[in-house]
Amino acid sequence: MSRLAPDRWAAVAMFAVAALTPLVVRDAFLLDSVILILLWGALSAAWNVAGGYAGQVSLGHAAFFGIGAYAAALMSARYAQSPWLGLAVGVALSVVAGALIGYLSNRLKGPYFALSTIAFAEVLKIVASRWRGFTSGSEGVPVPYRPGFWTLGLGHVAWLYLILVVAVGCYALQVYLERSRVGYQLAGVREDEDAAEALGIATRRRKVQAIVLSAAMTSACGSLWAQYVGFVDPSHVFSIDLSVRFALNSIIGGIGTALGPFLGSLLITSLETYLRATFSGVEASFTGIYLIIYGVVLILIVRFAPDGLTGIAGRFWAWRARAHA
Amino acid sequence: MDPAARLGPAQIDVVAQLAVSTLLLGGIYALIAVGLTLIFGIMRVVNFAHGEFLMLGMYLAFFAFTLRGVDPYLVLIIAIPIFYLVGLFVYVLVMRGVIHASHNVQIFTTVGLSTALQNIALVMWTGDFRIIRPWESSVVLRAAGTAFNLAQVVAFAVAVALTVALMAFMKWTHTGRVMRATAQDRDAATLMGIDTDRVYRLTFAIGIACVGAAGVLVSPLYAAYPQAGLQFVTLAYVVVVLGGLGDMAGAMLGSLIVAAVEVGGSYIFGAAWKEVFYFLLFIGVLVFRPAGLLGQRGAETLGA
Repeated sequence: MSRLAPDRWAAVAMFAVAALTPLVVRDAFLLDSVILILLWGALSAAWNVAGGYAGQVSLGHAAFFGIGAYAAALMSARYAQSPWLGLAVGVALSVVAGALIGYLSNRLKGPYFALSTIAFAEVLKIVASRWRGFTSGSEGVPVPYRPGFWTLGLGHVAWLYLILVVAVGCYALQVYLERSRVGYQLAGVREDEDAAEALGIATRRRKVQAIVLSAAMTSACGSLWAQYVGFVDPSHVFSIDLSVRFALNSIIGGIGTALGPFLGSLLITSLETYLRATFSGVEASFTGIYLIIYGVVLILIVRFAPDGLTGIAGRFWAWRARAHA
Repeated sequence: MDPAARLGPAQIDVVAQLAVSTLLLGGIYALIAVGLTLIFGIMRVVNFAHGEFLMLGMYLAFFAFTLRGVDPYLVLIIAIPIFYLVGLFVYVLVMRGVIHASHNVQIFTTVGLSTALQNIALVMWTGDFRIIRPWESSVVLRAAGTAFNLAQVVAFAVAVALTVALMAFMKWTHTGRVMRATAQDRDAATLMGIDTDRVYRLTFAIGIACVGAAGVLVSPLYAAYPQAGLQFVTLAYVVVVLGGLGDMAGAMLGSLIVAAVEVGGSYIFGAAWKEVFYFLLFIGVLVFRPAGLLGQRGAETLGA
């Protein structure tokens, strides 16, 4: 993309609309939807750092999400400390876990790498659901609500601005990655690892760094999610479904682009919220419909438009530019 | 729980019982894993939706039993051709288009398929646990200081018979040779006049038929629910990677190892922690011998 960069404008417009929403509406349902779109977008952006920019396609990012969620929830529920402290602990643990996973799985490619990340998330899920004395097992941990910024007991508007800051931060980090030396090196590793290594790029170190950064971002968002939702249980926070969701948003929006994860989240999260609201009264299992759509859309996107919505938009832009020339 | 405690005063030889349990469990795991390893070995695709076909097999057995009163073992006879056709259909509709695509495209195609199938089951049949109790699941056999369930024994026997038949098919028939040739070198096979599309179609259909049959076989033993496939398929990944992706004899060996880890781990540390052991084993194998115990070193880095 040249200096015009319509995708950057789209991102600015999206964040601006989000920032202006509370000024126009006070409807809790709508604010909640905006918060979730931004939060899932930020989480997908975190996945995109490893899966998109570095080509380390993980199906186990729920591991880091869960670490962050549990760290914050346990810190406030069990030790009555600030969840921010939990967030910091979670990030530290996820950095260690990310480095371990990255280092151990370094040689693995494609499906092997994906399988090993699934296994890591599964081990953590089992530990969280069986270690009753510490994590309360599969019953989960309810997070106490204590009003205040330091205890993260916030109203919808405050949450929206907090998550907006996080989302913009994740977006900015991706833009930085795209333009930095490290970002170009990661692209080299993704496209052809042997060639990158031959050019003197420390491919293994770069891959581990990308996973560690991605893990830290995912964990921080996981901590915030736990405080926002108010309940953490192992079968959800460590589930493959969650890992797939991070990847799905990025792929639908456009893998390896800064806007993609947010665009994907906008589409998928709104669809989910809409269908939930429409069908929740009818029958509980009908909420599964949006997941069927999810699955089918995923198959169609990777088959017919593997570069996602931003890719389609880019081609449309180029086509229009030619048509007008 | 100590298996002997349930059975009261009957004489149970613990070591023999653990060995028999391992063998019986291993046979079932082998049938689930053999389809997965076949599909990987020949198509170079890890089928992340494999467990969902197992789940569908369990539902087929459940509905045949509750609605028509048909015994799961009779269902097996129609389940194999049904799932063969399902496999053909899914291949033509979904897999054919991505067979030459990148790993990521293939991974997310099968992940999408898995999500869609799981939730189709959820919407159609709700998330309830569906359990059937045909007569064979309440028959206990005793021999040489061990006790086991008839349903387990039948599942094991059929699983082994099907697996062996598949291995014989691959080894001695012309079609089997053609399939192995395609696995070894797709381009060379094409140059020899092999219709690789037909080979992939057949491979996928056979793999799905195996796992569908496995679903029917385990239905008297485990509850059917939309995510029922997940617990088995994660285990099948462990089995397949242990045995070397694409290696059928390896898959048999891997199944026995995983079953031994599960049975031994449950006996020593309690059933709650059993999965931790085989996942740790899995990570260990992926890290130290990613090509499997019998496989060639370095296969995983070729982007096979």
